[in-house]
Amino acid sequence: MDLFFQQLINGLSLGALYALIAVGYTVVYGIVQLINFAHGEIFMVGAFGAYATWMVMGQPANLSVGMALGVVLPLMLVGGVVSSVVVALLTERVAYRPLRNAPRLAPLISAIGVSVFLQEFVRLFYGTIPFVTRIPGWPDAKSAVPFPSISGISDASVQIGGVLVQASALFTLLALVVCTVFLWFFVNRTKTGRAMVATSQDPDTARLMGINVDRVIVAAFAVGAGLAAIAGVAHGLRYGNIDFRMGFLAGLKAFTAAVLGGIGNINGAVVGGLVLGVVEALASNYLGTTAWKDVWAFALLILVLVFRPQGLLGAKVVDRA
Amino acid sequence: MNTVIPDRIKIAYRYPARAVGAAGALLMLVSIFLPWAYGTAALDDMSYYGAPSPLQLCFGVLALTVLALLTIPLVGKQRLGKWAKVLAWNTTAKTASITALITAAIAVTSVAVELGGLLNVEIGGWLVIFGGVAAVASTLFLPDSPEPSLDEVKSPKWLQILAIVVLMAVALFAAAFALGQVDAGAFLTFGSFLVAVVMVLRQFGVFGWLGMAAAANNRVLVISAFVVAFLFPFTQNGSNANMSIAAQVLIFAATALGLNIVVGLVGLLDLGYIAFLGAGAFTAAVLSESAYSHFNFHPPFIVTVLISGLVASLLGLIIGAPTLRVSGDYLAIVTLAFGEIFRITMNNLDGNDGPDITNGSNGIPDIPDLNAFGFNFGQPHVILGIDIGRFANYYWLMLLVIALIIVVFTNLNHSRIGRGWVAIREDELAAEAMGVNTFALKLLAFAGGAFLAGVAGAVKAHHDVSVTPDQFIFLESAFLLAAVVLGGMGTVMGVLIGATILKLLPEKLRFFSDYRLLLFGLLMVVMMRFRPEGIVADERRQLEFHAEDEELAEEVEEELITHKAHLNPEREVFEL
Amino acid sequence: MNKSMFKLAGVAVVVGALALTGCGTRGGASAESSASGSAAAANKVAKIGVIAPLSGDLSALGLGIKNSVDLAIKQANESKAIPGWTLELAAEDDQATPDVGKNAATKLASDDAVVGVVGTLNSSVAQSVIPVLSAASIAQVSPANTNPSLTKGEDLANPKRPYANYFRTCTTDAVQGPFAAQYLLETGIKKVATIHDKKTYGQGLVDNFTTAFKAGGGEIVAAETINPDDKDFSAVITKVKAASPEAIYYGGEYPQAGPLSKQAKAAGLTVPLMGGDGIYDGNFIKLGGSAGDLATSVGAPVDTLESAKAFVSAYTAGGYSEPYAAYGAYSYDAANAIINALKVSLASATDAKSARQATIDAFAKVSFDGATGKVGFDEFGDSVSRVLTVYKVDGTEWKAEKTGELK
Repeated sequence: MDLFFQQLINGLSLGALYALIAVGYTVVYGIVQLINFAHGEIFMVGAFGAYATWMVMGQPANLSVGMALGVVLPLMLVGGVVSSVVVALLTERVAYRPLRNAPRLAPLISAIGVSVFLQEFVRLFYGTIPFVTRIPGWPDAKSAVPFPSISGISDASVQIGGVLVQASALFTLLALVVCTVFLWFFVNRTKTGRAMVATSQDPDTARLMGINVDRVIVAAFAVGAGLAAIAGVAHGLRYGNIDFRMGFLAGLKAFTAAVLGGIGNINGAVVGGLVLGVVEALASNYLGTTAWKDVWAFALLILVLVFRPQGLLGAKVVDRA
Repeated sequence: MNTVIPDRIKIAYRYPARAVGAAGALLMLVSIFLPWAYGTAALDDMSYYGAPSPLQLCFGVLALTVLALLTIPLVGKQRLGKWAKVLAWNTTAKTASITALITAAIAVTSVAVELGGLLNVEIGGWLVIFGGVAAVASTLFLPDSPEPSLDEVKSPKWLQILAIVVLMAVALFAAAFALGQVDAGAFLTFGSFLVAVVMVLRQFGVFGWLGMAAAANNRVLVISAFVVAFLFPFTQNGSNANMSIAAQVLIFAATALGLNIVVGLVGLLDLGYIAFLGAGAFTAAVLSESAYSHFNFHPPFIVTVLISGLVASLLGLIIGAPTLRVSGDYLAIVTLAFGEIFRITMNNLDGNDGPDITNGSNGIPDIPDLNAFGFNFGQPHVILGIDIGRFANYYWLMLLVIALIIVVFTNLNHSRIGRGWVAIREDELAAEAMGVNTFALKLLAFAGGAFLAGVAGAVKAHHDVSVTPDQFIFLESAFLLAAVVLGGMGTVMGVLIGATILKLLPEKLRFFSDYRLLLFGLLMVVMMRFRPEGIVADERRQLEFHAEDEELAEEVEEELITHKAHLNPEREVFEL
Repeated sequence: MNKSMFKLAGVAVVVGALALTGCGTRGGASAESSASGSAAAANKVAKIGVIAPLSGDLSALGLGIKNSVDLAIKQANESKAIPGWTLELAAEDDQATPDVGKNAATKLASDDAVVGVVGTLNSSVAQSVIPVLSAASIAQVSPANTNPSLTKGEDLANPKRPYANYFRTCTTDAVQGPFAAQYLLETGIKKVATIHDKKTYGQGLVDNFTTAFKAGGGEIVAAETINPDDKDFSAVITKVKAASPEAIYYGGEYPQAGPLSKQAKAAGLTVPLMGGDGIYDGNFIKLGGSAGDLATSVGAPVDTLESAKAFVSAYTAGGYSEPYAAYGAYSYDAANAIINALKVSLASATDAKSARQATIDAFAKVSFDGATGKVGFDEFGDSVSRVLTVYKVDGTEWKAEKTGELK
């Protein structure tokens, strides 16, 4: 039974990461019906942004717990969020907005282009002034970069019975809880949030009601990117390294999670992420060898689409294609 | 660019502009007899006085064209007669000088890069840039010509056929010459020259006429294109280096043509298409006589090809049947997931995690060469005194496959099924309401496209000698999609061009390979933004109107589109 | 402008052009030789090809291979190792992809001056490259392919050499895996969990390790795999931990092995992780490999071998911008093996192409002390060197633990 609970914890912490990323897919899809294929890369950029912040701070290491959690980590989070949001908004402006009235294939193909471009850009130019010089002391991102450890998170753990819960797992789950509460507040209590809901329900009427749809779309991209950046930092802390390709599989899984929960539905994304993480962890323990776990995850996606296309919690938008 | 200079100024200065432009062209012409480079190693050795290299000669043709375009109209409208009207003299002069300048700039930059510094650019190199800039600057002052209307000029049939045949022969020669360029700078310069020639001919109105001639003599065009493609190995003097690339281009193109049905005709975005190629390749590998295959059933190749195609289309049905009911974007992600499932499964069928079929990540190596039609594909042959190597054999086989695909494709495209597909692409709900069985047609497209990919995969297995799961990653699906998008969705020619560009350029520009994917990503974004219909646009709608009155059809079309866009900006306005 | 003036201008252009054409010659040969100097005229040229990933994520390893071969060629030219011949490098990128590798091989095979090829890095690329080079009778020496079936055919119990032109300077999984098993059994570890990344290299190592470990009386308590694209190994680690192994044997490379070791320790699985030369890299420790983790690597430690020290100092002096990386020494040895064979085959050859088969034949007698120890090839083309070293993570670096020969 310990094994089961241990895997459950593993699954929940992995699922929390998926959920944080999935929110970005779902918010954007809810408003513009666009699968932001490059969202996985926004998550990756967030992790690299946080790492850059840490480098700029002068690579603080071996800090006291208070210092690490009170100063370094918040700054890294801010750095990650800022870089993700900037990149996401640039992407929206350059690659998606001009295509808003184009057939649906066009923005999706453009998004694939952005995804490949961002990966390659980080791989080739991270830690350099492009085509000029390498910044001394910065690692190159061509292979995995070790992520700094934050005392109190990277090295701590709690033993509950036979189950070992790492602080990094708790951090990820906590981040999800905080972000979900924040999102609830944002969507239901702020003007921009309510404008987002209105736009996702009926963009034309929303526009007639005086809502600036462009601004709402920008807000949706920003919120998604911010959460993805937090996921990026959590990922770095939990797994100890980041690399330019980390966004592809994570993004694909997170999209699966968003569809699982019902795309366009924010709560659905959270639930979908957690369910997917747990399914993966349990499947690798109980369903054949671990080699098949991704197959189960994707098979789940196909099954959901066939039998319950609106997802577990029901999609807030009807697919209008 | 047309609006920068007011017409008033253009009219006033048209003669000085013409004179300066002609002088610039003359400078460019003279420069080819002067050295462009200090060292011999750059491009195809441009270091001689008075003896232009082949590339310099090509450039000379461009310069001469500019000169001719600027001077011939001087004989006067009366003498030119109808040619003054049907050809776009001025605009073409502008196009020719711009493309000539770009070509010269590429050549000079290549010289500087390859020899290490601008110091190595010789007098001719500077002169050509100077002349080019003068020509471009002055042609901007020429009044614009009206749209060329050469296609309305009556011409005898023999002339049309002759033109097509000559065009094809030139294309063959150009392709062989381009592939013969080992030097990356030389390849780029020649490529730019070819683009320049095409742009100039198009602007001048010649392409319009050729298009008319091609439409009128469709059969001649298709047959001569295939004859030329068939003759290509004879231009390689038995060298395998280019034939290996050519065969790969054809395999890639055949797969992309399959995807073109799914994406281009029906409008279903498939992001896991490489899995079908993989299914075909693995099936053929398992059925081959490779020592690593654990099956003792080795049917003749024709049967293998059919089985491979069927296995792939079966997979297409399995994945398509449940997901084609959910629409649009979901399908893209489901197919992407399916592609991953395929790759992981091939990796897992290794005897440890599943039954031993594919050898896991080792894949199936040592696949013997094809031995079909009483002919061993691994053996070189001598035909007409020219060595035809292993890759040329596969090239011809793929040519045959592609010919079949094109025949099937064009026939389908103009049949009830094809019209149904386009109806689905344009508006699925309306199509369904009009009685089109959308689900069956989508499924047919999915399975049919998969079949083609499976067939290509079967040849690929033998051509590549080994099949491994890591050949079938997502990026390959993205490349296939890019070939379709780049070339032009829904067109055969476009996809062939797209596939050639995507496979050939990385091979020829290997020094660039680290930036390959970066540029690839950028290209996808830029294409979607500025030319989403691809290099070759689908002309279906024009042809569906009166074939003899295309201009009217186009006008109506444009009006419709802008009208619709004006009324309802949410509507999908452009045609893929 | 009137008609006659126009004609005149045209004539002037044509005449001018002709005049300019007349004053230059494009008589290839004479100009060529004067340009490239007299040394080339006296010496015939033979090329040694390299096929390796020179771009992409594996480019660090590939460039190390290319530079090391370049070093060997330069040294041979300086010492005039082959009288009458100048050696040149012809490096081609394979982007770690079989398709691209095959094109590279075809390109090299079409070049008549190419007599030998060093490469590839990946076994999967080798599977596509070997047949092309074999058809052209070009000797190929790989510094890094560890898949046993490349030299011994698909049935390892009844080995049969598939390609006579293929050799390698590295040892195969069939040597490294058992050596690791031997070491663990000697240190008293009887229960091991294996994990691999389902790639050719990793799976091969684990398979060979498992066979030897079981034969020596050990027990494999868990056999798991990971997806190399994954970052989260917690599910696998939990599963392995439940089997309470005394060590983990990992088949794969450091980008996954480092984080795996780190995550295992964080999850309370504090047993050493052992791997092959794929994890014997400083980055393994940076990415989370911790004290006590083990790796096997081929040859004796560099600082105990004179020839190895000579290679390292020559490479440093060579001024290459990239490090020689994991396979530099093997590549250097591979190039020197080809050069040694060329000494025999080119001696009597009139042109490079006709010496190709003779070069392959000459490999049987190649034997010298290289940067990785004794270099020679057995009847399958495998390296005769079976000396291996176990390294252990000590602080922030690898320390040699034990050097021995696999019996």
